[in-house]
Amino acid sequence: MANNTTHIQRRSVLKKAISVSTLALIATSGLLLPRILLAHWPTDAFTAETMEDALLALLGEAEVVDSSVVKFKVGSPPSYAVNGASVPIEIHSDLANIERVAIVVEKNPFPLAMSLDFSSAIKLPFKTMIKIAEDSNVIAVIRAEGKLYKASRFVEVDIGGCA
Amino acid sequence: MGLAVKDRLRAKLKGGDTTVRILLAHPMDTGRANNEQGELIPAHFIQDIRCWRNKEEVLTIKCGTATSRNPYFSFVIAGGASDDTIVIRWVDNLGEKGKVETKVQ
Repeated sequence: MANNTTHIQRRSVLKKAISVSTLALIATSGLLLPRILLAHWPTDAFTAETMEDALLALLGEAEVVDSSVVKFKVGSPPSYAVNGASVPIEIHSDLANIERVAIVVEKNPFPLAMSLDFSSAIKLPFKTMIKIAEDSNVIAVIRAEGKLYKASRFVEVDIGGCA
Repeated sequence: MGLAVKDRLRAKLKGGDTTVRILLAHPMDTGRANNEQGELIPAHFIQDIRCWRNKEEVLTIKCGTATSRNPYFSFVIAGGASDDTIVIRWVDNLGEKGKVETKVQ
């Protein structure tokens, strides 16, 4: 009889241990954080510390073609910014069926600045403001019909904007 | 802080297409800057912005910390008519949300 109860106790202890460890697992995997509400925010891409890693995580492994079909302007006047905390950027292209646009600042601590998912109804130009930490290349990558096109511009920044 | 205290949204018909301009009021803290007391300001930035026209989702913007404070966006939606409804919703990394709605003019 005594033997039996120890068995039962052992079982319940085991069960508890398992449920505690699963909970811990879920907690550490970040599932309980509010971040999960944004299931589609590509954490890997945004926390990548090099430009190559960020683009790989976001756009997958495909050849990126340097192309003049991607037209964009950064800074005002172009390629210059007094304040790196808000640098205007304008992206333009005549490509059809654009699916995704990525804006990457090479020298930023986290290079990927923005990723845009377009439906067929969206037309360029797209304008926004980004932060640039120091003099750096800024790259715009467009994915259209499964192909990747990119263009890059060098921007001089007087006061870094990422501090 | 910037001048904007409230999210703003404008949509205008121009040459048959709808031009949408968004200005959101958000600090966009990167998590790397210090305040005046030298303490680190925790990261607080918008991660996801979505745009609908008449219940059809047309654009998703995913932001990293390199989006400027009080983020500004401007883009064009093909076609459109006056009185179309444009809705913007955003969520930040702490789970705070916002919604702005306007009619195309």
